[in-house]
Amino acid sequence: MTAPARPMAAPGMVGAGFRVEIAHRSGHRAGWQAWTLIGITVTAAFFLMIWSRIALDQTAFQLQEIESQTASAEARYWDLRLEAARLQAPARIIEAAATMGMVYPETLRTIEVAGLGGDGSETEERWVDLKAVLGAQP
Amino acid sequence: MGGSSLRRLNARLVTVGVLLVLAWGGIGYRLVVVQALEADVYADHGLDQRLQREILAADRGTIFDRDGRELAVTVDSVTFYANPSEIEDPTTVARLLAPLLHQNMLDVLDAISGEGTFAYVARQLERDDADRVIAARLPGIYYFTEPKRVYPMGELTGHVIGFVQADDNQGLEGLEYQYDDSLSGVPGELLVERDPHGRTIPQGEYQVVPAEPGSDLVLTIKTEIQFAAAEALQRAIDRTGAKGGSIVVVDPATGEILAMVNLPTFDPNDRSDADPAAFRNRAVTDVFEPGSTQKVITISAALEAGIADPDTIFEIPTTIERGETVFRDSTTHPSELTVTGIVAHSSNLGTITLGEMLGAKELHRNLYAFGLGQPSGVDFPGEASGLLRPSEEWCAVNCVASTSIGYGVSVTTLQMAMVYATVANDGVWVQPHLVKEIVDGKGTRVAVEPLQRRVIDAATALSMRLMLEEVVSGGTGGYAAVAGYRVGGKTGTTEKYLIDEQRYSEDDVVASFIGMGPIDEPRVVVAVVLDSPRQDDSGGKGAAPVFAEVALAALHQLGVPPDDR
Repeated sequence: MTAPARPMAAPGMVGAGFRVEIAHRSGHRAGWQAWTLIGITVTAAFFLMIWSRIALDQTAFQLQEIESQTASAEARYWDLRLEAARLQAPARIIEAAATMGMVYPETLRTIEVAGLGGDGSETEERWVDLKAVLGAQP
Repeated sequence: MGGSSLRRLNARLVTVGVLLVLAWGGIGYRLVVVQALEADVYADHGLDQRLQREILAADRGTIFDRDGRELAVTVDSVTFYANPSEIEDPTTVARLLAPLLHQNMLDVLDAISGEGTFAYVARQLERDDADRVIAARLPGIYYFTEPKRVYPMGELTGHVIGFVQADDNQGLEGLEYQYDDSLSGVPGELLVERDPHGRTIPQGEYQVVPAEPGSDLVLTIKTEIQFAAAEALQRAIDRTGAKGGSIVVVDPATGEILAMVNLPTFDPNDRSDADPAAFRNRAVTDVFEPGSTQKVITISAALEAGIADPDTIFEIPTTIERGETVFRDSTTHPSELTVTGIVAHSSNLGTITLGEMLGAKELHRNLYAFGLGQPSGVDFPGEASGLLRPSEEWCAVNCVASTSIGYGVSVTTLQMAMVYATVANDGVWVQPHLVKEIVDGKGTRVAVEPLQRRVIDAATALSMRLMLEEVVSGGTGGYAAVAGYRVGGKTGTTEKYLIDEQRYSEDDVVASFIGMGPIDEPRVVVAVVLDSPRQDDSGGKGAAPVFAEVALAALHQLGVPPDDR
């Protein structure tokens, strides 16, 4: 009886040993993958930490910039209030009025509307009355 | 290679090896010391270099007039300084810098040529002026910002507001001094880590205790009336040649001072050329003998005591002699006068008659009750109390007579304004004040509540007002008439007492007029005092026209309708 022909096992490719060897390599790869994963995770966490740190720093600088802008705006606000106060000075207004040819009236007329100037909800109506009186003036 | 040379080689190697070991050992030891044993110390050293503790200046409160107009504001200003050691060519820098600062080139050169590393070049410039200098980027010239107090109305309110010290914004005069604690606020503190460029290190140490801003003051002053008073006083000084003068305008019902003006004055924004004597608010700090304006107290005391009423007739002698003093009237009038006539004609002799009927004690009591001889308590520093000696110390011969007509006592313009305000306010004296409200940093408003006291009966006050009206309509105060309004008041002309020489001046007088309007329900009291007028040197001619101008402006500004409408 002739045994069926079968290829000779190549060195290192022995049947049962082959499977064992594969199992061994699979475990090694899994370990390698795990370490790789851990490495990537650690690296990512490291970069994430750096990124968050940079983001925080950037935000802090932005905050400082905004605070600086706020201070500038506040200083500007007071400069403008000062300018407005100077513009309201009676001496300046009188000078400007004189330049415009305005003079103080020689005769004064007083129009009196009963109750006007007092407290109460009817003040607006009294102003309407006054406007009517003024409207009737020549 | 011989044995001896091998030994030498070995010895060298051993030596080098030992040295290396020692060196590394030293370095290692130092490393352990720095990094482990004394790590905290060095960490603290480093932190100290980065940590900066800064005082956060509190914003000084703003001062407003009664209508909310700014009278004193704090703004950021720019101060320039030089580091002379960094300036290689001071002449060129001074030549470029001087026109930008509007300064003399030699002054600038002097400032930047000195020894050392710091010299002020220009202090507290406003931003617009500073920007030109900053843009020039001159070598060795640096700047920093600091708060600056600015007074938009300048000399108009200089005496009332006062001013602060430029370095630290502490109040030195006026309301700035009086209310310094309220205006200053509480400084804060900032603890922060900074890099060598002065930038804040993010996420470094940062602790802040915020500053509490100072309170704002709302004054009783009405700027328009203040301006009208200042203009009228200046015109009066130009007209009469007076050395100076004061005007006080008061709301008699509330004690609020609507205007307080003195001339000569000064600009609190630039005091470099001002005479320090001009800093005094003379209406509050300087005294004078009131003369005839004080007769209102003597007469009202006589009415209160029931000695006379306005229509009681007195025979007026031609003179009254008390010891070596002979009293006369300076006006011509009938030989018989009612009490109203005595006031209208400002009769010294009639008033002395009534004063002597009252007696020293009663006269003194009334003078004191009207506020003479004591500070009014106005919220202003350096108020003079004036002079009113106790009646027990009065001389027996002529003190009652002279005191009755306003000699032998001294008063401030404000005190006399409040005497008339008492008459105007139906006999109730209200403490004068310049601050209406204090508004703290949180916006809480605290109104000032002035003291009040009744001095004379309301009926007496009304009688006095009608008598004062006679002074204007038919007496010595004709120039005080205000078109459209019924007003009243009293003239006063006193010889000026020269304190240094202990005698009365033969040339100088104090001319005054104090009055009120409208007479039925007075809304304003105006006191005008002129110091040593050369022309129109009497209360009737010098001061009364000023009253008319100021009273008219004040009544218009307060919206008081005329009596003749």
